[in-house]
Amino acid sequence: MDDGFAEYVAHRHLRLCRMAYLLARDWGTAEDLVQTALAKAWLAWRRIEGNPDPYVYRIIVNTHTSWWRRRWRGEVPAETLPETPDPRDAASEIDDQAALWNAIGTLSPRQRAVIVLHYFEERTLSQVADIVGCSLGTVKTQLSRALSRLRVDPDIRTMSLEEVQR
Amino acid sequence: MRHTETDLRRLLTDQAHRQGGGEPSVRLDAIVRRGRRLRRTRRALTAGTAVVLAVTAVGLVNGLLPRSPRANVATAAQPPVNSAQIEPGPKLPDMFNVRLGAVEFDLPLIHSQRFETMGVARTVTFSPSSFSTGYKVVCDDPRAWVVTAGKLKGGERGGGVGRCGDSAGGHHDERSAPSDWLKRPQSMQVWVFPADAPVKKVAKAVTGCPSAIKSRGCDEAAQSRALFDPEVLERLSAEVGERPGRWAVGIYDRPAGTDSVPNGEPTAVVEHPTDSASAPTR
Repeated sequence: MDDGFAEYVAHRHLRLCRMAYLLARDWGTAEDLVQTALAKAWLAWRRIEGNPDPYVYRIIVNTHTSWWRRRWRGEVPAETLPETPDPRDAASEIDDQAALWNAIGTLSPRQRAVIVLHYFEERTLSQVADIVGCSLGTVKTQLSRALSRLRVDPDIRTMSLEEVQR
Repeated sequence: MRHTETDLRRLLTDQAHRQGGGEPSVRLDAIVRRGRRLRRTRRALTAGTAVVLAVTAVGLVNGLLPRSPRANVATAAQPPVNSAQIEPGPKLPDMFNVRLGAVEFDLPLIHSQRFETMGVARTVTFSPSSFSTGYKVVCDDPRAWVVTAGKLKGGERGGGVGRCGDSAGGHHDERSAPSDWLKRPQSMQVWVFPADAPVKKVAKAVTGCPSAIKSRGCDEAAQSRALFDPEVLERLSAEVGERPGRWAVGIYDRPAGTDSVPNGEPTAVVEHPTDSASAPTR
């Protein structure tokens, strides 16, 4: 139906929900976000040229930002992440993951969108800028601030087996 | 503790694949239904909806108008003698009482439409015969929510929100009606939602449901104001969906050729639904 809309939904729905979940951090809201985005995309389907993904992503990001702005009441982002005593401890590794996930929750919707689109959806920063609707420079700034807040250091590389074998 | 980009990628992937309650179900029909509702809402509510001022101003004016004892008696003791409706369902009064200051008159029913479902936008089209045109919505459940939207003087959208039992409005002055009021058929949009529709929940989610008086929180008046927001309407409609519920809308007007109503305020009568004490209808 509708020039491939049904096929697109069947093919991409789960992935879109996952991406939306990383933004909204709640599955119910994520599904609602995706349904709203797809409903809006359905209205404009015939006018979308090429890959609909960027268009749908943009709706999801914008809708999430607008919902977040309206829903945000009293959530206080932490200034610092809790320090853990032993970084090699298995339990502390889980704590690290939880801390990182919590820290992602403290990012602004725009920063979170940049992180999710770049690191989960594997979009280039130019593509992210196009989706989020701002300049490449702004995306780089947002990314830098977000990584700083998450204590993610882009210069630290995890040593992979391939690197060891070289 | 510092993280690497690989940590971040792994975390995002893990979290995204850790959904609760199994895979989200794809409901294409629900998406398309929501899309259609969106389209209807967008058509019905153009950008820059300017309704609150008109509603507030007229609600204030009506609130100041003294109510005659006769009108109250009529409301309580005299069920409408309805000859225009033969279908089952809520009955429309056969006359619409208008009181503009010291002037009081009745408008006869000129057009009515009945609906068996609620939760979606409906368009009612009618041909006014004068500059004094009223409407009233009646429902099986008088506590059902009603939202109306129509054209005001400058072409901007105006309307009212409230419980069905109090839902009425219209134009009663040449200065309030759009310039093409008598030149072509006019239309208004009506949404009826069940009395228990999650208005508060949706209003809080979309607008935060701010109240004019902070201590009152998201009370009925705040919910009514929130319903003027197209996004609240849209999401409420999507949440409620189309469901059974009978209601009718009646259009009342002066018979063609009758003298117009004397000048007077209000220039546009759109009652605030929560202000039931000022409702000038039967």
